[in-house]
Amino acid sequence: MVATPVRTPAEQALAARYPAERTSLPGTADVIAIRDAAFGGVEKSGLPHRRVEDWKYTDLRARLKTFPPAAGSGDVARILIAAPAVEGDKARRLVIANGRYRPELSDLEDLEHGLSVFSLATALEAGDATAIAALKLDDAIAANTAVALNTAFMTDGLVIAVADGAEIGRPVELVHIAEGEPAASTAVRHLVTVGKGARLTLIETIESLDTVAHHSNIMTMIEVGEGAKVDHIRLQLEPDEAVSMTSLVAKIGREANFDTFNAALGAGLARAQIFAEFVGRDAQAGFRGITMLSGRRHADTTLSLIHGAENCQSRELYKAVIDGEARSAFAGRIAVPAHAQKTDARMMTASLLLSEEAEADAKPELEIFADDVQCGHGATCGAIDEDLLFYLLSRGIPKAEAESMLILAFLGEAIDEIQNQAVHDALIHRVEGWLKTRAA
Amino acid sequence: MLEIKNLHARIGDREILKGLTLTVKPGEVHAIMGPNGAGKSTLSYILAGKDDYEVTEGEVLLNGASILDLEPNERSVAGLFLAFQYPIEIPGVATMTFLKAALNSHRKAKGEGELTTPEFMKLVKGVAEKLNITSDMLKRPVNVGFSGGEKKRAEIMQMALLQPSICILDETDSGLDIDALKVVSEGVNALRSPDRAFVVITHYQRLLDHIVPDIVHVLSDGRIVRTGGPELALDLEKNGYAAYVANAAA
Repeated sequence: MVATPVRTPAEQALAARYPAERTSLPGTADVIAIRDAAFGGVEKSGLPHRRVEDWKYTDLRARLKTFPPAAGSGDVARILIAAPAVEGDKARRLVIANGRYRPELSDLEDLEHGLSVFSLATALEAGDATAIAALKLDDAIAANTAVALNTAFMTDGLVIAVADGAEIGRPVELVHIAEGEPAASTAVRHLVTVGKGARLTLIETIESLDTVAHHSNIMTMIEVGEGAKVDHIRLQLEPDEAVSMTSLVAKIGREANFDTFNAALGAGLARAQIFAEFVGRDAQAGFRGITMLSGRRHADTTLSLIHGAENCQSRELYKAVIDGEARSAFAGRIAVPAHAQKTDARMMTASLLLSEEAEADAKPELEIFADDVQCGHGATCGAIDEDLLFYLLSRGIPKAEAESMLILAFLGEAIDEIQNQAVHDALIHRVEGWLKTRAA
Repeated sequence: MLEIKNLHARIGDREILKGLTLTVKPGEVHAIMGPNGAGKSTLSYILAGKDDYEVTEGEVLLNGASILDLEPNERSVAGLFLAFQYPIEIPGVATMTFLKAALNSHRKAKGEGELTTPEFMKLVKGVAEKLNITSDMLKRPVNVGFSGGEKKRAEIMQMALLQPSICILDETDSGLDIDALKVVSEGVNALRSPDRAFVVITHYQRLLDHIVPDIVHVLSDGRIVRTGGPELALDLEKNGYAAYVANAAA
């Protein structure tokens, strides 16, 4: 007799939802087959727990209490008046509300030459071969639970293409909004291809208008073409009740330049996953982010980078500030295969613990098979430096303000790498708001 | 102005100050000299409120009020300023942001409104110029990339901006060449006034050629063991601390 593990309420909800929804989700039979395979994997293994290495610090089985029903269409009036997360960035805002792309709420005027924007749901319904092909993922990525759930349940997303040589001046901002009560879940997939020598700034914001336990699962796949330059910045801003999972899959072409920044500022349970790969030589990439946690929040950043081509350079910098009983986890893995000579990779993670109960876990990993490479990693974890604090206090600056200055300085090293000024300023504003709340 | 009465302090199990008494009146400049390990830096840190030290006995009054229960920032706005022997580098905190926060904290404590940015810039530039502090230095993070001399000049700039009533200079001469020593001393002398006092802590008489003290104390083994006029500093320069160290040991 085979022992069947006890299913958690979240696993039971998943098992009940998928069979009921699979045929009404967008896509042809091919798509359903891909969804079935993805869901089958999750159902077979159950939600991952701490003995599964990739989820060691984020025991999803224990932490995911429920899996709420699919979101309804949402109240357009409320979505329409929601204040933008980033002011003054002149970005082209594309709204994805409750898991559905809403062209009528999006800014599609005067689309730049070389920029195309479509709904993924529409593409999948029409049996678009390119979109369907893009759903077929590398095995290691496909098997990841957050990715598999996204594949199974995704309702929509954007297919964005930038033609070869097109320089898209206005940033494109994907505005993800969850609206309504009770709690619901959404799964969204974006497919972004940036052609040879093209340029794109892609901003993502993730928000919820209601303080309920919404689940969001957003996956963004970016192909950075040869010599292209892509700047990707995500602000994850949901309320403490929310569960937020993001997955970024990036393929970086020859001589391309790719930067991604993740600001994990929201959700009670947040997991940001990055699966990146250099697929052409002489490329550069920056992977950076900040996490700010208080209360009992938990945020996990898991980065897997395959330095798969010669003479590529990458910089990884993740900083976390943790207060209360919150917990931050960082796992960063860089693999350098034997042919990827002249690889230059430097990974750094630093955590600032603001309370006795705060916790930070860091797991940097380098897997190097090439012999002519420069790879480094570092991890630090500590409290606010007493000597620095005393110096500020001795000049009359009150303790809370002095601590805020030092926390901002700590995060600034990462934040200041953001090239887009409006997003940089919006993020600083958020960080200052967080610090004010803490100091109060 | 500053009254230190029978001050005893320890760090861990080690008693460092063993009954230090000192009275500084407005307008006076006191020099405290003494051998290594006498407790000079401990005294400056205790006055500024660093919490590594435990005061076990005695009291410290600033303008008649006890300051030992005050936080370091409260002591600062009450008028006490410590020029650090080793000014701290604070990467990521812009010098101007820091100066503005400090100045506004002092203004707030006095019930004054915050300065506007142009007012603040004008004030800082005026003070910085006199101390040969370039605008490039002001653009850097606090003390980051400053030479030893630049750090000391930056300390005096902060002192000039905050206008304290009692200034503690902890070995401000250490690490300075002759030219920098002159600039720093001129900066200090410019701040001398009938209602401001200085406690200048130093190993060497050299600084006292430039900042001429009214009273010189010898600190040895946690106590003031001798007090005299400026001539005492000259005597120490010539004969060293041997006599005092021997006394203390006996």
